[in-house]
Amino acid sequence: MKKSLLLGNEAIAFGALKAGVGIATGYPGTPSTEIIETLQRFRDRYVEWSVNEKVAFETAYGASITGAYSLVAMKHVGLNVASDPLMSSSYTGVEGAFVIVSAQDPSMWSSQNEQDNRYYGLMSLIPVIEPYDPQSAYELTVKAFYLSSKVHHPVILSTNTRISHVRGPVEYEEPIPPIFGKLQKKPDKYSLVPDVARRDRQEQLKRWELIQQEIKEFNEIEGDGRKLIIASGVAYSYVKEILPESVRILRLSAPVPLNREQIIKALEDTDEALIVEELEPIVEMQIKSIAYDEGFRIRIHGKDYVPRSGELTPDIVEFAIKKFLGIYYEPKTKVEEYVPPRPPAMCPGCPHRSSFIDIKRGITLGGLSQTFFSGDIGCYSLGILPPFQEQDSLTNMGSSLGIANGIFRATGTIPVAIIGDSTFFHSGLSALANAVYNNLPVLVVVLDNRVTAMTGQNPSPSREIDIANVAKGLGVEYVKEIDPFNLKESTKIIADATNWVKQNKKPALIIAKRACALEVIDKFDKLPIAEVDISKCTGCTICYDYFTCPAIIPREDKKAFIDPVLCIGCGACIPICPYSAISLKGKIPEGWDEVWRS
Amino acid sequence: MEKLDILIAGVGGQGVITLGKIIATSALLSGVKALVAETHGLAQRGGAVNVHVRLGNVYSPLIKKADFLVALEATEALRNLSYTDKETILIVNERVERSVLPRVKMLSLDEIKERLKEYRAIYIPAERVAIDSGNPRGANIVMLSLLMEFGLKKLIDEDKLLSLLDEKNKRVYLAGKESITFLRIR
Repeated sequence: MKKSLLLGNEAIAFGALKAGVGIATGYPGTPSTEIIETLQRFRDRYVEWSVNEKVAFETAYGASITGAYSLVAMKHVGLNVASDPLMSSSYTGVEGAFVIVSAQDPSMWSSQNEQDNRYYGLMSLIPVIEPYDPQSAYELTVKAFYLSSKVHHPVILSTNTRISHVRGPVEYEEPIPPIFGKLQKKPDKYSLVPDVARRDRQEQLKRWELIQQEIKEFNEIEGDGRKLIIASGVAYSYVKEILPESVRILRLSAPVPLNREQIIKALEDTDEALIVEELEPIVEMQIKSIAYDEGFRIRIHGKDYVPRSGELTPDIVEFAIKKFLGIYYEPKTKVEEYVPPRPPAMCPGCPHRSSFIDIKRGITLGGLSQTFFSGDIGCYSLGILPPFQEQDSLTNMGSSLGIANGIFRATGTIPVAIIGDSTFFHSGLSALANAVYNNLPVLVVVLDNRVTAMTGQNPSPSREIDIANVAKGLGVEYVKEIDPFNLKESTKIIADATNWVKQNKKPALIIAKRACALEVIDKFDKLPIAEVDISKCTGCTICYDYFTCPAIIPREDKKAFIDPVLCIGCGACIPICPYSAISLKGKIPEGWDEVWRS
Repeated sequence: MEKLDILIAGVGGQGVITLGKIIATSALLSGVKALVAETHGLAQRGGAVNVHVRLGNVYSPLIKKADFLVALEATEALRNLSYTDKETILIVNERVERSVLPRVKMLSLDEIKERLKEYRAIYIPAERVAIDSGNPRGANIVMLSLLMEFGLKKLIDEDKLLSLLDEKNKRVYLAGKESITFLRIR
C-alpha cells in the first residue's frame, strides 16, 4: 500500500491499473485529460489518444468484447460524440470489463454546457458510479471494473472538476498485470441486426435487474435520526463537512440505478428527506417514484432546496441543509465591487494570434466586406475576445464547417470556417467532405500548431498526416499553406483564396502552420527577445491594443515596452509595427526555425 | 485537529497551481490531510486563477471562508473577497498585472489598498524580493515563506517543506522570511 498526494484523475488511473486495465483510450478534454496521461506512463498496456471520442469508445469497447479489461475517458460533451456506440454497448454487454469515464464540468469552467451525463445511464441502461473525493475515485474505479466483469456490462464512472482536479492523499496498491482478450466471435450477440438486437434487448433488461441488486454495495447509510439526507457523489463531501448530529446520511456512490430495497429501508423511520445532488434531479426522480409506489407519505426535498445549475459549494449545501433542518442561515452576500475582467489569453508567441490578424486583413483585401466567422473548440476559441472578435459561433467539436454551411444556405454570405488541426481530424473531415460534395463557398482556415494545445499539448494526428494532402484528397481544389508570422505573404494568399471562393463557389482551404509556442519554449534554454526602439515608437498602440501580445506593455507615455520575462522572441510583433520600431535582440538558437516549422 | 483554509489567487502563469501543490505535499509529509482544488481549462494563461487549499480534518473540496488569502497579483485579492471576512489575513503581492483585453483600465495599487483598508492585509513586493535573491520567477515562493510565518507553521513542518525546494527556491524562501521584519498587518 502506498500513500501519495494524487490528483483525482491520477487516482482513477491507479484504480484502473489495480483492476488490470489492458486497453485505455481517450480524447483530451478538461477535466478528464490526466487519466490517459497517467496511464501512458505504463508501457505494459496499450494506451492511446484516439482521433475522437467515438473511435476511442469503439476501441475500448471492441477490446472488452474479447475479454480484455478496458477503459475509455472523455469529458462530458465527448460522450455525445460517442453516444451511438454507447447505446449499442449496453445491448450487447461485454466479455471482460469496460469502464467509461465521463468527466462533468458543472459551472462550465471550460465547457460549452453542463449537461448531466447520469441521464445517459438512465437512457442507455448502464450503471453510473460517482466518487466523492480522490480516495473514493481510486476505490470506486477498482469496484467499477469488478462490477463490469461480474455482470458483463459497461459501467459509467462519472467524475467532475471537483473530483478530477482535486489533489488529496490517496492510499493505493500496486498495479496488477494487464488483462488482454483473446479472439472470440459471437456474431449472434455482437452483430446488431434486428433479429440479434431484439434478443439482446431482452438480455440487457435481465442484466439491468441483476445490476439493480449488485449496485447496493456502492451505497451506505450512516448516522441516526428521523431526518434523512441523501447525497450523491461530490455532494457527500459537502454534506459531511457541514452536517450536525442526529441526521442520517445515505451516501450514494451509484446514483443510477437505485436498489429498491435499499431505498425503502432508508425511507422507513424517516419523517422528511433531502436529496443533495449536483445539476439534474436524477436521484430525486428515481426516489420519488419509489416512494410513490411504496406509499410513503413523507416530504422529499431536492431541487426545491438545491439549485439545478452550477457546481455545488459549501454555501449552497449549508443553505439547503439548514433550511431542511429549520435552522436560520443567511447565505453570504457576494461582494459587489468592480474588478477589471481578466479572461485567459493566447500565449506570447502563439501563432493563432497572428493567424487571426492575417485572416481579418486577408479577407478584407479579398473583397469580403462582411462575413460570418464560424468557429470551433480549442485555444483559438479565444479569438472571440477583442480585438479579434473572429468567432461568431462555436458550439461543439467540428461545428465550424457544418454551421458555416447553414449560414451560407440561409443568407448567401460567404462564411469563414476556423478550425484547429486536432479538431479537424476529430470531426472536421466529414464536414469538409460535405462542403465539397454540396459545393459550399467557404474559406476554411485550419490553424495547425501540431498539438491539442488547450488540454496540455497532447499529440495531434497532424504530426503524422499532412492536412494539405487530406484536403486535396477530399476534393478541395484550392489548398495552400501559410506562415502566420509572415503577415505580408499570408494576407496576400488569404485574399487570393477569398477571391477564388467568390468566383468558383467552392471551398478553399488555408493551413496556417506554425508550432505551438509552448512546444518551442520547451526546447530552448536561451531565447532571443524583442525590443522596442523608443525613439522610433510613436505610441500608436497597435502592438498592445490590436495585436495584444501579453508581453507587450504600454508605458505611461503610451509607448510600448516588451517584458523580457514574458517575451519568447518569436518576432511575430515585428511586422505588426507600422514604424519598424521592434527588432529582435540576442542570438537565434540553432534549430530555432526548424522547431517552429516542424 | 486544526483546520486551515488557504485561497491562492493570481494570474495564470504565476505558479498558482504549483504553490498549491507544494503546500499540500508538505502537509502530507507532515502527516496532515490536504485537499487542493484547482480549475484550469484553456490552461488559463494570463487569466484569473484561484486554487483552494484545505488542511486538516476536511471533506469539502472548496473553501467557504479562507483563513488566508494569498494574492500573487493585487487585483486578484479584490476578485476573491467573497471568500474572506474581517478575520482573514490577506497576503498581497504589490504587483498589478494588466488584463490582456485592450483598453481595460486597471486599478492602481493605491486604489486596491484603499479598497482593502478594512481588511487585515500584508503587502510585499514579492517580485523584487525574488529578483534580489536570484530567481525572477520565485515570487510564489516569497509568498509561501510569508504564509508559513503568519500561521502555516502550526500545521506544516518547515524542514519537510524545504526538502521540496531546490537551492534556487530555498534562497528565495529565506529572502522572503527576512523581508518580514519590514512588514506589518494593517
